[in-house]
Amino acid sequence: MNPLQLLGGLGRFSLFCWTFFKAAIGRRPPAGKVMGEAYSIGVRSLPILMVIAIFVGTNLTLQGYYAFQPIGGQNLVGMFVGLAGVRELAPIIAASMVAAKAGTHMASQVAVMRSREQIDALEVMGVNAHWYLITPRFLGIMLVMPALTTLAIFGMLASSYGVAVHQLGLNGTEFLEFVRAATESRDLIICNIKALFFGAVICLVCCYNGFNSEPGPKGVGNATNRAVVTAAVSCVLLNYLISEIAYA
Amino acid sequence: MESIRTIGRFSVFSGQVLKRSALLRWNFREMIAHLDVTIRRCIFPVLAVVFPFGMVISLQGLEVFRLFGAERMLASLASVAIIRELSPVLASILVAAQAGSANAAELGAMRIEEELDATEVMAVDSLSVHVVPRVLALVIACPILNILGTIGGLAGSFVTAVYLKGENAAIFMSELGAYTTPFDITTSFIKTAIFGLIIGLVSCFFGYNTQGGAEGVGRAVNNTVVYSVLMFFVANYFLTSAMFGATQ
Repeated sequence: MNPLQLLGGLGRFSLFCWTFFKAAIGRRPPAGKVMGEAYSIGVRSLPILMVIAIFVGTNLTLQGYYAFQPIGGQNLVGMFVGLAGVRELAPIIAASMVAAKAGTHMASQVAVMRSREQIDALEVMGVNAHWYLITPRFLGIMLVMPALTTLAIFGMLASSYGVAVHQLGLNGTEFLEFVRAATESRDLIICNIKALFFGAVICLVCCYNGFNSEPGPKGVGNATNRAVVTAAVSCVLLNYLISEIAYA
Repeated sequence: MESIRTIGRFSVFSGQVLKRSALLRWNFREMIAHLDVTIRRCIFPVLAVVFPFGMVISLQGLEVFRLFGAERMLASLASVAIIRELSPVLASILVAAQAGSANAAELGAMRIEEELDATEVMAVDSLSVHVVPRVLALVIACPILNILGTIGGLAGSFVTAVYLKGENAAIFMSELGAYTTPFDITTSFIKTAIFGLIIGLVSCFFGYNTQGGAEGVGRAVNNTVVYSVLMFFVANYFLTSAMFGATQ
């Protein structure tokens, strides 16, 4: 991809977001669809997110333990898990799994609608397609992202406690004490703010790619592919920006 | 029941692919072509994710180490974290999202457009022509992208530590290898090769068995990303335990 194409894509994406917000702000969402989308996004992503969060927690603990062992600070594992896990990894893991599961689903749904000309049909009927298709998904993902992130934090801490105490033989109380020392309620609030931003980005990026897909199976596949990569990359970049603003 | 059946079919599929690759029944040029495409597709997303993550490590690590007045530890922590864990995992997630889902989309489109059946009709084995080169290309591409990602991540943490936070560049460089051993680099290499194999098999399995038109392609892409990430996180825990167990 050359820089000019990238710039052009960014411009088209901004126009898309502008059209969406202009269509959606100050208008009620389509009746009875928001909760359905929230349920489908949340429930679809929850099992996979929990499994990933659990394995990220176990790995974080193992790596922290062996990294601090040479300097005799095995007990710092709790602090490491608290800092690295809660502050950075949990929101990123939640965002990338929601992008992989619900985001790709969103992109392929919208792309299929595009290739079957259903979006054109909506426009012909005088329904604003941006408002009708994106608003429920946007509100739904905003509702569930903070909850999913909080659950991911919980799963991660639970599994890292399990590994620390039962596999590595650390003292459980001491471990929890170090976790608590490293995290404040402010960290959780920042996590949830991050989650809201990630949710917005995932929804807009995936819908944008779905809206602009080429017709046919190849087009749907490519749109889904582009959607998940772009969403993941923009979430990580955004994560750095928010961390820099919040913690520096 | 359905999931057990899928696991069974996946095992048979993997066995067929591995048998063909062991018997050298595949096209070398095709493999090189896929390798080229894979690396060119993935290099930008991998760097765009690992570089900011290196920056975040510096940001958060410095905050902790300043408490103890041990800022010089930062470089060694960053290199251990990036080489052992972050770069392999993040690079593989991005490879799954980019190259894995592209594989699934391409094979899925070929299945829907009956290209795979056409290959079979011409008495050409579609697995050895279309699947084995893709899987092998991913096995080779993953470690290469991991090395590039590692360099990118270390550069990211160097940039934050030295240019944004004003640490000493010479100290950073000299502490970089303090806890990193050749063993870490070897294990990171082996790990990513295994992740590449998982991504290749999962993506080709779902792409090869696509059903149901354009929607089916979207579903295949979705499943690919989710299940390959899930499988290598699980594999990662056992690999990490085994590799650290080997050094003790």
